[in-house]
Amino acid sequence: MTAHRTGELLVGLVPIVLLLALWQGITAAGMAPPSLLPAPMAVFLRLAEQLGNPTFLQHAGTTLLRLFAGFAIAVVVGVAVGVAAAGHRTIEALVRPVVRVLAPVPKIALYPALILILGFEHASKIALVAADAVFPILLATYQGASAVEPKLVWSARAAGTSARKALFTVVLPAALPSVLTGCRIGLVISCIVVFLAEMISSTNGLGHLLVYAARSFHTVDMFVPLIAISMLGLLLNAGFNALRARLLAGFSEEG
Amino acid sequence: MRARITSLPGLPPLIACGALLALWEAAARIFAIDGLPPAHEALRQLPAILGDREALINILDSVRRMAIGCALALAVAVPIGLLMGRSRLVAAFFNPLLMTIYPVPKAALMPIVMLWLGIGDASKTLVIFLGVSLPLIYHSYQGARAVEEKMLWSAAAMGMSARRRLIRIVLPASLPQIFVGVRTGLVLALITMVTSEMIARQSGVGNILFNSLDMALYDTVYAMIVIIGLLGFVLDVAFERLRSWLVAWAEPVHQIAVGTT
Repeated sequence: MTAHRTGELLVGLVPIVLLLALWQGITAAGMAPPSLLPAPMAVFLRLAEQLGNPTFLQHAGTTLLRLFAGFAIAVVVGVAVGVAAAGHRTIEALVRPVVRVLAPVPKIALYPALILILGFEHASKIALVAADAVFPILLATYQGASAVEPKLVWSARAAGTSARKALFTVVLPAALPSVLTGCRIGLVISCIVVFLAEMISSTNGLGHLLVYAARSFHTVDMFVPLIAISMLGLLLNAGFNALRARLLAGFSEEG
Repeated sequence: MRARITSLPGLPPLIACGALLALWEAAARIFAIDGLPPAHEALRQLPAILGDREALINILDSVRRMAIGCALALAVAVPIGLLMGRSRLVAAFFNPLLMTIYPVPKAALMPIVMLWLGIGDASKTLVIFLGVSLPLIYHSYQGARAVEEKMLWSAAAMGMSARRRLIRIVLPASLPQIFVGVRTGLVLALITMVTSEMIARQSGVGNILFNSLDMALYDTVYAMIVIIGLLGFVLDVAFERLRSWLVAWAEPVHQIAVGTT
């Protein structure tokens, strides 16, 4: 079994190694000038150097702050509205059409409006992240909470649990797997959207570094923030999966 | 658990639209800031924009790039996804690579791709293609993996070749999942389209949107947002029609299909 797994892992490394080799080959053969495509080693060295650079880390910190602020708002709003819509007929009738209209709208198009209303600073970027991350969380929570066995709630209510307590001790835990799936999608989206927002208008953050490098034709520096944000996405995703595994220790494997 | 007032399917979203517009109008009047013109002023710009040849060409440019990007993604991603679902080797080959590039913001590749392919159609279409491909591969993979083995064995026992099995059995059986991927992909295509045009301002809706922002034509900014929003909504509705027509036999796959960039 383990030998089989390592075999599969090795197979999986093939395309990544091939791509890197191709990249190295192109630059080494001089087919592309370094101003268009820097050598992979140059990019990774620069990345390692930047990871020790306080200014770079400060930019990354700004990005993280916006990311988490927006994501936190999205989780609170998404879960609250999702649970309310699943539990209440009238709220559902109100929320459903609004979500139906707003969910497919590309939120990035709202960004100019957010800039005009909230300014160029943190607020507009956080709002965009929240707007983009809230819908998957809301929909997942709604689906999860609607699928909760009504008998569970009835039993809890019959045993004298208040409606509010039943919500927190029965509905939310039962909907947790679905909620967490939504949160994971929302987290990856947040990661991407915060970067795009910083690219469009910002004076700091990883996205700004990319645009700044592009304007001054420092090709190596264009790759570094891009790799940094992707690594951040991978790390957050892995961290979230670990958290999820702990929280869902009692659940059977699902979605 | 479904709402009962859905006897007229188009009505609730229409009411929601009206309510959102009213909310916007009220907010604009209450706050009275330059950056938020009242809804009616923005909507008044709509006929002007849609009647302008220049603007129409821009919008068509965007839609054309998106259509080409999506079509290419369908042609490439679905076969890869299906093969991954049916062969462990193929899956093992592609999975780590896809996992690594999944969180890369595709629209953020634009400045780099622009260096290589210029600011024209090629780079924008490529970025849209990349953005749409990944969810499509992922969902086709999931769909193909879940195909009932017995159906494949029966077909093989009746002498169907491997390639025909892929087209005649795996593809139709994975269609519901593939459609989930297409839906996610569509959302992504729109986002990437707007963002790429914003970065390489040469033509398209993103170009008009951000240029009017820079020129402080706030009515036009909001009118463009409404147009892009409408585009997203109409695509979503059209897609939903197509899906229910093609895979009416399947249980509606309720998945969180609002995509990742």
